[in-house]
Amino acid sequence: MSHGSTEKCEPNFTPLLDLVLQLVMFFMLCANFVLEQTAVEIKLPEAIAAKALDKNEGDPIFLNINSKGQVLLSRNQMEDKEALDTPPELEAYLKRAAKREYRATTRKAEDPPIDWKPQTTLIMRIDKDTTFEKSYPLMKACRQANYSKVELRAILGQ
Amino acid sequence: MSRRKRKADDDVQPDLPITPMLDMSFQLLAFFIMTFNPTPTEGQIRMALPPPDMGDSRSSTPPSPADEKPMKWAVVVLATDNGQIAKMTLREEGATDDRGEDLGASVATGLLPRIKKLADEDKRRRDAAAAEKPPRTIPPPKLTLEIGEKLLHAYVVQLMDASVQAGFTDIAPVPIDKKNR
Repeated sequence: MSHGSTEKCEPNFTPLLDLVLQLVMFFMLCANFVLEQTAVEIKLPEAIAAKALDKNEGDPIFLNINSKGQVLLSRNQMEDKEALDTPPELEAYLKRAAKREYRATTRKAEDPPIDWKPQTTLIMRIDKDTTFEKSYPLMKACRQANYSKVELRAILGQ
Repeated sequence: MSRRKRKADDDVQPDLPITPMLDMSFQLLAFFIMTFNPTPTEGQIRMALPPPDMGDSRSSTPPSPADEKPMKWAVVVLATDNGQIAKMTLREEGATDDRGEDLGASVATGLLPRIKKLADEDKRRRDAAAAEKPPRTIPPPKLTLEIGEKLLHAYVVQLMDASVQAGFTDIAPVPIDKKNR
């Protein structure tokens, strides 16, 4: 009364596990990328002619501006406040950043000369529902802080 | 003794349980798939912030074709109360006619084709100057967007986008009211 072999027939799960782990890794990396990009909720407008960030431009300063015209600071930008409510506050913040850049590039402890222009690019991520009367004073604050490279962030359109 | 010898000869095969690891991996995979929300690709449009002492574009002297000065154009954009474009007017800097050219309210059909034509004409002028002997260099044209204060940023970017598409590189958005510049 033999009932055949009693050997177990197990499928080989190892390649499947490899594949799944690779997929997990892909989604983990993408999730990190998403967190970095959308640290602050800003609804950006679309633009066809917008160009991706040039890697040679160094570390730009991102200014996230909500529809109320407040500049929301990310964790690494924060000083003593989480947001800059008025254009003079933004101007003072940018002047402090310019002073740090001057001291880092020239290795001098003194303040930058009045006509010195920071080389850092300012990228303004302005909410699409912000009116021009709220966004323009912030652009003006960038100019008064002597920043010449100012760019508007937009979603790349079709 | 024979039993002990047989035991030593047996191959040792460690049994690594793959199934629980696979279960856990599937759970992780499900979590990341459900929370996956790719952000759209972002890009920048460069703008030229005008100097603080920028005056009225209508009051300056008109540039003559012989001057090696850039052509300067201004588009006045009026806004509706809900922040949309009400009307656009194109004006050449120094032009005697204050009314300018009416471009309607559509960026795609009104503004873009008109400023593209201007940018193309200016490019031909600069190319001709560069081909002269001795060659002359004329800077690229400047476009000032004089924008109504109620206009939403979405439309500001739309205007700048159209200007870049037309071929302008020096684009300055400013308020219509000179006191606020």
